[in-house]
Amino acid sequence: MIEFSNVGLRYGHGPEILRDLSFNIEPGSFHFLTGPSGSGKTSLLKLLLLSLKPSRGTLHMFGRDVMSLDQDALLEMRRHIGIVFQEFRLLDHLTTFENVALPLRVLGQPESAYRDNVTELLEWVGLGERMEALPPLLSGGEKQRAAIARAVIGRPDILLADEPTGNVDPELSLRLVRLFAELNKLGTTIILATHELPLLDSFAFPRMVLRDGEIRIDG
Amino acid sequence: MADATMEARVTEVSVSAQRRAAPIVPERSVAGRTLVLLIAIMTFLSGVTLGGVVLVQKSAIAWSTDVGREVTIQLRPIEGEVMDSNIRTAIALAEATPGVTGAHAISLEGSQKLLEPWLGTGLDLSTLDIPRLVVVELGDPTDVDLSMLERDLAAIKGASLDTHSAWRQQLNVMAGTIVLSGVLVLALIVLATVLAVVFATRGTMASNREIVDVLHFIGASNSFIAGEFQGRFLSLGFRGGLVGGIGAVLFFLAVAGVSGSIVPNEANAQLNFLFGRFALGLDGIAGIAAVVPVIAALTAITSRLTVRRFLSQTS
Repeated sequence: MIEFSNVGLRYGHGPEILRDLSFNIEPGSFHFLTGPSGSGKTSLLKLLLLSLKPSRGTLHMFGRDVMSLDQDALLEMRRHIGIVFQEFRLLDHLTTFENVALPLRVLGQPESAYRDNVTELLEWVGLGERMEALPPLLSGGEKQRAAIARAVIGRPDILLADEPTGNVDPELSLRLVRLFAELNKLGTTIILATHELPLLDSFAFPRMVLRDGEIRIDG
Repeated sequence: MADATMEARVTEVSVSAQRRAAPIVPERSVAGRTLVLLIAIMTFLSGVTLGGVVLVQKSAIAWSTDVGREVTIQLRPIEGEVMDSNIRTAIALAEATPGVTGAHAISLEGSQKLLEPWLGTGLDLSTLDIPRLVVVELGDPTDVDLSMLERDLAAIKGASLDTHSAWRQQLNVMAGTIVLSGVLVLALIVLATVLAVVFATRGTMASNREIVDVLHFIGASNSFIAGEFQGRFLSLGFRGGLVGGIGAVLFFLAVAGVSGSIVPNEANAQLNFLFGRFALGLDGIAGIAAVVPVIAALTAITSRLTVRRFLSQTS
């Protein structure tokens, strides 16, 4: 599903942030992405989200060479990838329901077409009673569950998460990762970036460890 | 109990289904009031300029047409010539010219009255030899052989033909200059509006960067994002345009009312005769009304292009 081959990344004429990354991600797998701050986790996630293109090497996703894709093809491919951020990035003027439904709304679907799906998903993540609440009124855990729901409402094949537990307490962190594990069981490929060792130790998923721009896969 | 909870949820969902989805670009995030005011002012200025141009052009055309339908034969008093006889001859020659529908002489009293604005009233002009005028009315001004009439009139001593062409030419040049100036002012107003909308859009994009990023991450196309901003600006443009357009129409109605009430009736009638009435008419109001959607569309298109440019630079 994802094939990195000698991928390097640099910003402008600066030094390489990522060097010679070569690895494969199989469909339906769950990987932690970890490493110290500044090791390039977020840059790697940006490559996976197609926000950046590699400076060198080849990157294949869904069997296609990313480097050869035009803007429209990249946009179409990006719709198969969900993303969850540490800082949630919900739109404060939209209700929880509207935030979660946003990926379907931008595809031009009418509310009548997605209302039941969004409601069902919000029930599943435990936000059934908070559908009409605005994000500023939600707790950190509720916000992150809403962000996860928004990331998966379009049924992406790949779900990326950038420190999704960074703003919640340890107990809630475990519950959130269990939620990702549930999604993984349903077939979604998950790559979850975190530097919280207790969290990594609580689950037996393989780890991609980034250090000084190079990657090592454990497990 | 479970049924009751489910029922409550269904009700909640139904309520949310009936509610219109909130706009993705929040209204308050756009510099709304300032932009509406600015667009209202620009539309008002456009409307007043357009209305002024329409007024000038209508008056010039009306005046030129009226003047063009008449020519004047002037008969200067010359010793040894009998004025009444010459007048009759001039009328006969005029009426014999193809395309002339009628000719009549202005009486001596009428001629004296024409001089009153220059010489004043109450003077005894009987001792002066006043030139006499014969008004020749034309059917179709383009289908009259005035050179033939001029040649015929050469037989009458002291007779000359005045076609008012110099006046008409001067009037047309003046009206054309005013219309051209108006068009130039309109173009500058449009340019200023476009620039203002470009700056407002850039400011809005910068302050809504988070929304743009989120929309990108969830797979929104540049076209969709531009459409969301365009919709917001179209609404603002229309509101501003409507306020400015109504203001411009009210301005002309007020000025027409004031000029009618301040200027004495007699003078007003003469002014109307010379320059036309200070009223826009339906075509003028329609012109100003047309400015409103044009300004709104201009605002929307400008914002869309600015957003597309912004997105292509940042993607």
